[in-house]
Amino acid sequence: MSSALEDRILKDLSNGTAWLVVLSLVASSDDAIHGYEIGRRLADEAPEGLSFKQGTLYPMLRTMEAEGLVRSTLVPSNEGPARKCFTITAEGRRVLAAWVDAWKRTGRWMNRIVGGIDVNR
Amino acid sequence: MSTADPIAEYLSHLQRELAAVDPAVAHDALIDAESHLRAAVAAGQSPAAAVEAFGPASDFARAYSAAPAVPTSAAVGAIGARSSGVPETGPRPTGVAGIPVVGIWFMPRAWASLVYFLVPCFVIALCTFIWVVCVGSLALGTMPIIIGVPLAVFLLGSVRAIGLAEGKVVEFFLGVRMPHRVQPVQVLTPMGAVAEVGFWRRIGCWLRDVRSWLSLAWAFGNFFVATGLFSLFVTLAALAIVLIGVPMAQAAGFTAIHVDGDLAEVQFLWERVAPDADGLVRISAFTSVLSVVLGMAVATGTLWLARGTGWVYGQVVKAIQVARPQAVAQRFAIVP
Repeated sequence: MSSALEDRILKDLSNGTAWLVVLSLVASSDDAIHGYEIGRRLADEAPEGLSFKQGTLYPMLRTMEAEGLVRSTLVPSNEGPARKCFTITAEGRRVLAAWVDAWKRTGRWMNRIVGGIDVNR
Repeated sequence: MSTADPIAEYLSHLQRELAAVDPAVAHDALIDAESHLRAAVAAGQSPAAAVEAFGPASDFARAYSAAPAVPTSAAVGAIGARSSGVPETGPRPTGVAGIPVVGIWFMPRAWASLVYFLVPCFVIALCTFIWVVCVGSLALGTMPIIIGVPLAVFLLGSVRAIGLAEGKVVEFFLGVRMPHRVQPVQVLTPMGAVAEVGFWRRIGCWLRDVRSWLSLAWAFGNFFVATGLFSLFVTLAALAIVLIGVPMAQAAGFTAIHVDGDLAEVQFLWERVAPDADGLVRISAFTSVLSVVLGMAVATGTLWLARGTGWVYGQVVKAIQVARPQAVAQRFAIVP
């Protein structure tokens, strides 16, 4: 497989799961969480080869906020502009629960099909 | 400009990439990017590594301008497929609102604009004007004994804060997207970190920031603009109400026009009507119909005027808030 195609597949996989992962991270945080902190945690936890650019977080968070899934507060910072920190809303938790359920069902379906493949055959 | 700071260079590049995007969206995008990159540097990353991890400016600009800042029908999913670079223009009206000319009656934004010019616009402009005149006079009067200097600085800061609050009201009523982030006053060290900005230096930055002076000028001058618009829309609304209301009231059996005294004739539009023995004035059916039609035309024109004026007014308020006199390139002056 060409490197470009492999990169594109990995990018698509990353984009498809990013919303769920980002919303889960916001939900799991006890305090309001800044975009940089979300990006750092994502980078730390990302499996090998699956990377994303941290700038993609902000359009995503902006859309989530517009849809009422998260809400933001501005926290003053000595290191630049005030930080926009995010917490999940009740609507966000409802959507996340539905999403997680769909993800688990999709995961079982994927495992049944993809998990049984012998790629060396 | 420091060419040694990758973050400053990145932000300059991003600003160019956002040139065609709504200024308020570009403003927020630049501050979100800067906030992230400065946080990364503060956490120990090198500026170059932070920029690399953030991704290309062109990708960020494209994704940010495509992400809606207002709710869409699709709650989640296909981001990037929607464009909201200029959300206030919105989609073309559909249904009854899409009917040419009279569709304006069914556009909530037109009604909201009319309400804005009749109430909040005038009230805000009046209060702000009184504030500027009172504190400004006090500051000028006490300038010789130094007390006026901090008062003047306080006034400058207060009108900036009032401008931001007014932006929220304008966004709510007029639907013109306003910046949601505040551009900070800051300077950088040669290493790209944010320098501690002392009180006097901060004051100096404020005084050099054209947004401070624009906000002050707007706080003062908006009173005259708002008064003119208030008078215009009150007059037009009253005219429309009278033209529609008098014939309607007469048709419903109410006394619309009553004359006391010896007035021989009353002129309603082109018709001269003599009051009856009880002083009641009854206009003819023909004049009544034409009056209603004329009143509807005035009301329709008023709504169009309110919507158009609202858009222009919103753009002026936005232009003041997103003015970047200390554009990214200039703002990152090296601390000597």
